[in-house]
Amino acid sequence: MPTPLSNELLHRLRDARRRRPLTWWERTYLPSIGLGLWVTSVHFWRNLFLHIAHRVGAFRNFPASVTIQYPDQQRATSPRLRTRHRLMQRDDGTPRCVGCMLCETVCPAKCIYITPAEHPDPNIEKVAKSFDIDLGKCVYCGYCVEVCPEDAIRMDTQRHDIAATSRDGMWLDMTELLHPGSRKPGAPPKKYVQLSLDDCRRLKDAPQA
Amino acid sequence: MLTDLLIKLALAGIMLFAVLNLAGIQTWLERKQSALMQDRVGANRAVFYLPWKWAFPINWVLKKLGGLGLLHALADVIKLLTKEDFIPASGKPLLHTIAPWISVFFAVVAFAAIPFGDNIELFGRTIELQVANIDGGLLYVLALASLGVYGVILAGMGSGTNLSALGGLRAAAQMLAYEIALGASLIGIVIWYGTLDLQELIRLQGTYLWGWIPNWGIVAQPVACIVFMTAALAETKRVPFDLPEGEPEIIGYFVEYSGMKFGLFFLTDFVETVLVAALTTVLFFGGWQIPYLGPNGFVFPWGGAIELSRLTVVLLGVGAFTVKVSCFIWLFMAIRWTLPRFRYDQLMALGWKGLFPISLANIGLTGLLRVLVR
Amino acid sequence: MPTLTIDGKTVTVPDGTTVLQACEQAGSPVPFYCYHPGLSIAGNCRICLVEIEKTPKLQISCYTPAAEGMVVHTTSDKVLKARQDVLEFLLINHPLDCPVCDQAGECWLQDYYMNYGLYNPKFDEAKVKKPKAVPVGPTVMLDAERCILCSRCVRFCDEITKTGELGIFNRGDHSEIGVAPGIELKNDYSGCVVDICPVGALTDRDFRFKCRVWYLNSTKSVCPGCSMGCNIEIHDNRERTQRPHVATGARVMRLKPRYNAEVNRWWMCDTGRYAYTAIDEQRLTTVQQRNGQGYQISTWNDALDTLASTLRRLRDARQLDRVGIILSTQMTNEDLYAAKRVAQALGIRNLAVQGPARPGKHDDFLMKADTSPNTRGAQALGLSLDAAGLFGRAARGELSLLYVCGPDVVDTYGRSVADQVQQSVELFVYQGSNVGGSSQAAGLVLPAAVYAEKDGTFTNDQGRVQRIRQAVAPLGESKPDWKIWTELAAHLDVPVSYADASAVFAELASREPAFQGLSYEVIGDAGALLKA
Repeated sequence: MPTPLSNELLHRLRDARRRRPLTWWERTYLPSIGLGLWVTSVHFWRNLFLHIAHRVGAFRNFPASVTIQYPDQQRATSPRLRTRHRLMQRDDGTPRCVGCMLCETVCPAKCIYITPAEHPDPNIEKVAKSFDIDLGKCVYCGYCVEVCPEDAIRMDTQRHDIAATSRDGMWLDMTELLHPGSRKPGAPPKKYVQLSLDDCRRLKDAPQA
Repeated sequence: MLTDLLIKLALAGIMLFAVLNLAGIQTWLERKQSALMQDRVGANRAVFYLPWKWAFPINWVLKKLGGLGLLHALADVIKLLTKEDFIPASGKPLLHTIAPWISVFFAVVAFAAIPFGDNIELFGRTIELQVANIDGGLLYVLALASLGVYGVILAGMGSGTNLSALGGLRAAAQMLAYEIALGASLIGIVIWYGTLDLQELIRLQGTYLWGWIPNWGIVAQPVACIVFMTAALAETKRVPFDLPEGEPEIIGYFVEYSGMKFGLFFLTDFVETVLVAALTTVLFFGGWQIPYLGPNGFVFPWGGAIELSRLTVVLLGVGAFTVKVSCFIWLFMAIRWTLPRFRYDQLMALGWKGLFPISLANIGLTGLLRVLVR
Repeated sequence: MPTLTIDGKTVTVPDGTTVLQACEQAGSPVPFYCYHPGLSIAGNCRICLVEIEKTPKLQISCYTPAAEGMVVHTTSDKVLKARQDVLEFLLINHPLDCPVCDQAGECWLQDYYMNYGLYNPKFDEAKVKKPKAVPVGPTVMLDAERCILCSRCVRFCDEITKTGELGIFNRGDHSEIGVAPGIELKNDYSGCVVDICPVGALTDRDFRFKCRVWYLNSTKSVCPGCSMGCNIEIHDNRERTQRPHVATGARVMRLKPRYNAEVNRWWMCDTGRYAYTAIDEQRLTTVQQRNGQGYQISTWNDALDTLASTLRRLRDARQLDRVGIILSTQMTNEDLYAAKRVAQALGIRNLAVQGPARPGKHDDFLMKADTSPNTRGAQALGLSLDAAGLFGRAARGELSLLYVCGPDVVDTYGRSVADQVQQSVELFVYQGSNVGGSSQAAGLVLPAAVYAEKDGTFTNDQGRVQRIRQAVAPLGESKPDWKIWTELAAHLDVPVSYADASAVFAELASREPAFQGLSYEVIGDAGALLKA
């Protein structure tokens, strides 16, 4: 039994359905067409004037378009936005990750691949020797960040350009995750790159290596 | 004889050059004008550079052109030429191939009757600035515009798929519906000026009503002008009348076309826009006439005159014609980016129940007026 | 036969039963750490406390004998509070290592804390530091911090292996499990302390960091390491298609003992525990045909055609006595029976079963010298065990076709005899699972599935027929032996064919007197004895 509609709502529905009949002049659509053309033309001429004025250095404070020229200009995003992952480092450049595989387990897209190894310090005990993320599969849910007991993975690099010319091109290895942006664009991706703790320390000084 | 041929070829060359360039520029205009109307920047990325050191001035120019988006037309052409030319297995290759050529051919050939300037004296002859000086020029243009429907039908049928065939039929129905209104609206003009010769029509528009109002079509036949422009827009199949072409949503007649064949349909659209703009200019806005500019210079009705040489006057006329055509192209583009598309039943209702009766009434009224004024 | 009331349910139990066992019978299980049914009772973990009416304090159920008329409560507020307190005490010095601890996911501390724990801990003093990641032996890694001092492992070494390597050192909250200086936890059953450790204090060095336990799939099976036939679980990586990097793609991660009162109880030896690598390593995965010095990859159809045409030619020439088939005690009853059936149908009489190449270690607990799982089964099927004689005949040139199914004869009898065989026989077929001397000497190599990849039965030295089950799919193109035999039969137009291993066993049970009355249902998880 549906609840009876209130009187007021019924009236509003009825009024919405019964449109005001158009006058003869309005039915030719000519006034509306003219009005529309007026609106768009005002924008056209104003923007044309501003574009030309910007070329000669005038009216800089009046933008002629709302466009952000994306690769050249980056839009500022909220720091809370989930962007590309990075692995946090300890002070000496070794990964904070202890290879517990919780992120790998919780990942709904199954895009995280970790190989753990023994850490020389028994109080840390475990460390990731390879840590890979297949961004082509990642759904950016952020569960890996939430589940991490060591705050070792974060999604705050403000990088969202993951375009690549192949599926493998979206594969991030441990070097790239520890030092976002260190991989040259177009460089062939490496999978399951294993980094020892010494490799990580060296990378800290020269991430391009 | 040979001289005549050469003169005609030269005129045809000028016309073709102007028309195709205007059509090409429209691809740029389409992008840039829509961008400005929508507070965007528009195309500004396509650019290429010459690899040699000495070419740096050329590269500087190329950079500026690229920034304005002008090189996008080039990118378009390269893309269209290098795309796969696909013919469906169920299609008829001959029809599929000739359909775009038929479309573009009739659109271009129609320009033969459009006069773009007054006559000039050259080599001891009087040369009308018009490729073909036809007595019934108006009929010629209308006939060729009607033939354009063949391209559409052949494309729909030649593709061999049901959707494109339906799209072709729908486009043909639209074009026929507006053909009627288009023709009927022009009868008013014919009655008013009493001629079918377009050059003669323009000369008659050089006269003045009550000695000072230019006797242009827009003044004499305002209703016919609106009906004509609406119907002509529908003929070009552009927004808001682009139902035949709504590629992604409602599937038009060239859904099975790709590469340069698709490019030709694209070109036809732009050529037809130029044609409609030129026709509007010729029929309602005085063609190459400039108010108060006589054969020997300006003669103002409130007294005063500016003496000009014959050549200057003719060139001013050609310039005026070009400016007027350009303005109409801009206007059509503005309409295209302002109005949303019609529904098919609205389209048919407007054609048959709106424009057609109005143009019939206009004929009657014009006839009556003509008799009374005489 | 005391009768007692547990959580309102009346249950009668045999004399000598503890309250903990009675609670289990009554369907009100009590949590425990130090109690283990196979070990003596220590009573030190205190989590099995229950409330017994008319006793002033809570009692540990593991050490209290069930008595007539007892009224026991296992879920009263008092009991739950006590459990919570015990867990709080246990966790005072237990590190929050769970993410890096291999036990996580199968940890009793986690399980009980989830059920009964104090979710709002009050402890904020410093924890006592103890040695971490200490290898106490070749197989076991000790983390003294995680230890809850239940002493199960100490009792195991004292009572079961009687080697006594482990002990509890120091006092109070500095108590820790360890080995004396210079001593290693190194005995034939050392892996069992990992099984019985309820927490992550003792972890398996072989399994360490290999795979998280929640990726594992468990399949009931039987260890093929010796004729004892210990019941095991095969743990394989369930997610290996999505996570190919785990343990570099190996399928079987570890073996665990499975309780069988009549065979191994809760235990298994280290030899059997770490023998699983043969399942993934050095496997034959393709059909190969010798091509001069090297091998050429072939198809099942071509290879069986070659074999069948040779057999057919010998049959037509009435030379079937020049065909020799050597089977193996590593094969299941089903495999042996299928081979026997096909050989009988063809009229081949030279059929022998090869025993283990060399005896293994023997003790009076779980390890047997006979390192093959199915010697009794081969005997019960009436098969000759004189493979050496048959191989000798092949070496003397009395055979044209030698079909070796399973045993690595080249390895067993030595390279020189094998060379003679290779010279004298027309076709030397090797059907087996792993790369070895025979697979490199044979003219035709057929890949066979290993025990973890097929269903079947083994008969241990007690005459107990026990089930093995398929844990993972056959690797590459390999197939179970019985299947290969039926396919060969099809190529020879011999009417022997079975839908699956249970169909083979059904026919076996109906035709072989020793197996009369057995079926997979009768065998179940515990196995069933042969008829004398």
